[in-house]
Amino acid sequence: MSWQTFILHIFTYGILLYSLLLMTCYILIGIFSISETRRYLHKNSFTDYRVLASSDELPSFSILAPAYNEGSSIIENVRSLLSLHYNKLEVIIINDGSKDDSLEKLIKAYDLHKVDYFVNERIKTKKVRGVYKSYNPVYRKLIVVDKENGGKADALNVGINIGQNNYYVCIDVDCVLEQDSLLKLAKPFLENATHRVIASGGVVRIANSCEIEDGKLVKVNLPKKFLPRIQTLEYIRAFLLSRMAWTRLNGLLLISGAFGAFDREVVINCGGYNPDTVGEDMELVVRMRRYMEELGEPYKVSFIPDPLCWTEAPTTFKILGRQRNRWTRGTIETLRFHRKMFFNPNYGLMGMLSYPYWLFFEFLAPIIEFLGTIGLIIYCLAGQLNYSALLIIVGVISVGILYSIFAILMEVITYNQYKNTKDILRLVLVAILEPIIFHPFVVFSAIRGNIDLIRKRNSWGEMTRQGFAADKKV
Amino acid sequence: MAGGNLYKLLTIKKLNITTFITGVYPIKLHYQGAVMLAIGCLISCILVFMLLYMLYKNIFESKHDKWRLISDLLIQKAVFLDEEEGENTTIPVTSRAKKLLRSRHFRRLLMQEIMLAKKNISGTSSDNLIKLYKQLRLDKYALSNLKSRFWHIKAKAVQELTVMEMKEYVEQIFSLTNHPNELVRMEAQTAIVQFDGFDGLQFLDTITYPISDWQQIKLLQQLSTAAPTEINIDNWLQSTNSSVVAFALKFARKYNRFEAHDTIIQCLDHTKSQVRLEAIHCLSEIYTEETASELMSRFMKENIKHQVAIVKAFENIGSEDDIPFLVDLLDNKNNEIKINAARALIKIGKSGLNSLNNHVEAVGYPLNEMVMQIKGELAA
Repeated sequence: MSWQTFILHIFTYGILLYSLLLMTCYILIGIFSISETRRYLHKNSFTDYRVLASSDELPSFSILAPAYNEGSSIIENVRSLLSLHYNKLEVIIINDGSKDDSLEKLIKAYDLHKVDYFVNERIKTKKVRGVYKSYNPVYRKLIVVDKENGGKADALNVGINIGQNNYYVCIDVDCVLEQDSLLKLAKPFLENATHRVIASGGVVRIANSCEIEDGKLVKVNLPKKFLPRIQTLEYIRAFLLSRMAWTRLNGLLLISGAFGAFDREVVINCGGYNPDTVGEDMELVVRMRRYMEELGEPYKVSFIPDPLCWTEAPTTFKILGRQRNRWTRGTIETLRFHRKMFFNPNYGLMGMLSYPYWLFFEFLAPIIEFLGTIGLIIYCLAGQLNYSALLIIVGVISVGILYSIFAILMEVITYNQYKNTKDILRLVLVAILEPIIFHPFVVFSAIRGNIDLIRKRNSWGEMTRQGFAADKKV
Repeated sequence: MAGGNLYKLLTIKKLNITTFITGVYPIKLHYQGAVMLAIGCLISCILVFMLLYMLYKNIFESKHDKWRLISDLLIQKAVFLDEEEGENTTIPVTSRAKKLLRSRHFRRLLMQEIMLAKKNISGTSSDNLIKLYKQLRLDKYALSNLKSRFWHIKAKAVQELTVMEMKEYVEQIFSLTNHPNELVRMEAQTAIVQFDGFDGLQFLDTITYPISDWQQIKLLQQLSTAAPTEINIDNWLQSTNSSVVAFALKFARKYNRFEAHDTIIQCLDHTKSQVRLEAIHCLSEIYTEETASELMSRFMKENIKHQVAIVKAFENIGSEDDIPFLVDLLDNKNNEIKINAARALIKIGKSGLNSLNNHVEAVGYPLNEMVMQIKGELAA
């Protein structure tokens, strides 16, 4: 056997093994997510959240909402946050050195005044310029912090320093939350008597084309545009299947930066959000888990499948590309910071399963796919691609489609947000088109993320949002 | 042509590289076809299943709507049953409804509707609903569900019997208060408290499984509507189950059980950190002249979180005697302890404020900012 043949064999069998492992992961994710979702739905059917919403015994929560140039919608968004059903709550808006008139608008709308406030800087941050509170008792829950620009992680760290409560929820200020979302997110922290719950995540859904009135979601619609629609399917797949399965195993490494609750004490002991990464949400969860593993205290990262938070998805390839580029860089940075855990039995399931999964199937997947595609093109040009190989490529794509359709089925059986049969069929169509139209773009963005990281381009990239106003019911 | 050159460049002429990308070199074509067929069949199956499921759901929902009408009619008859018709009058049930009652799905829907109505009404109408429930022998079904091997069916049955006030089954339900399944025992505990109010808490004497914070909050919320009775909580405060102790401390705080003060003090030395923290919270509201010194004596032994809780307790219990202790804390390295000590001093009154102002660091950072913040808070 020549060395070329040998290398080709290694490559061939490597890819075969990789594909089989990935498919096995899909099957296991499906099985575990069914089990976890069933358990949650049964459990949840016994809870009357309305009764407890007004209880004084519930723990206090701080909502941390960083805002940068959100002037166009900040007043509405803050009003929406203040109207959440939760008794013991403080809403902290962190104005991260906005260049627009966000702060002035807030001061005027909520009758805010600068107050003397000692900022206990337990996590090092950029300078706080001022803390504002309202004399109007209606807005007594509101605190607005004005600080020098330092990015999302820095803004969240300021919020953690300012907040007084044991738990906090970080959200993107432009997200729309369900009224009982906080209560549902708070429950996991209280119901586990044997493990300390250090973080709790909720499902984020796509709000494009939904009807929103006064900061509240009135009607759920499937996005009309193709890109948000395809992301709807992606989010269903990620949240209903993947995250539920990892929660079952207690191996969840990511809680979305758009909506998640955290144990403040553990976060502070870990040093807060890392401003040196663009994937601060994942990096924090991994660091918290690592901290708890090293401490040897039983802990849990919880996740609930209820659709609690609605966000606007990018509608252009340009913005979507930036987002995916950033996600890739965030993943790589997190994996690099915590490489010590790779197949390290001292970190239990996280070291032996979660971390390797992210490394092999989240970070490496686009690279392998990209190299495979290059190879495919070369052999097409060489005229060596035959029917047999094509059949297998179609097979691999079909498994992906199967996984997506299974996710849609889970959605239909559980929360069924898109009640119209036509909408479900549209989602199925999207599942079929995704590998051809959307997936190559995602792979391309991920590769660009890798290249940018190597070239040390570390920006967040501008995220222009269209605003819900465009889809609001008139 | 260019492709051919490239192929030569790669010098792998002798090898059949049809499978370079796909990694199926050893798999024969007909096997590949079979795999593809299997995947295709699976996709079709899921699609067909999904469509059938949606169709079934639509059909079932329209059937449900009809059943809901029948249920509502039954409930209306019960709710508006004339009081004068006497206790022995039976609620008229149509033959269709009787027939439908054989269906498990109909019974489930009817139960949902009855429970919903029961939660929203009271008085005679509520009693009539109970009457309907018993007349239809729905309690017997619930009783048989109590023996189900599925935890969610068991828990649902307990919930149903609770809402329908089936106190005669209290014994069966009580036996479930220490059930291995968390949901079952939570529902059973809730039921017992619903039936017997404060006396229902007797399950705390025997429970060996932990009571989650969520369940503790639920129980306290439930007790808020019951008439308080005299119960001895000392046993619970000394329970070997630490979650029972934590609940008893919350209970003592909420219901001002001053007579338990000495036992609560003992909880400050509990091995479980959560119990000690709960005891500190409790003592900030249930205190005597000795409480401050008891807390002070344990201050140095505690972790930062508990130390902060102790200092916060002094905002309530602090007196002029405690000023030296609090002034010492102004030199503590932890800012949270420092600001809470300053707050406690200001809340003690003029002498506390003077001690604070006379402190060496009062005009320097960070104490000056802390004092300004506290004064601002108090003025607001």
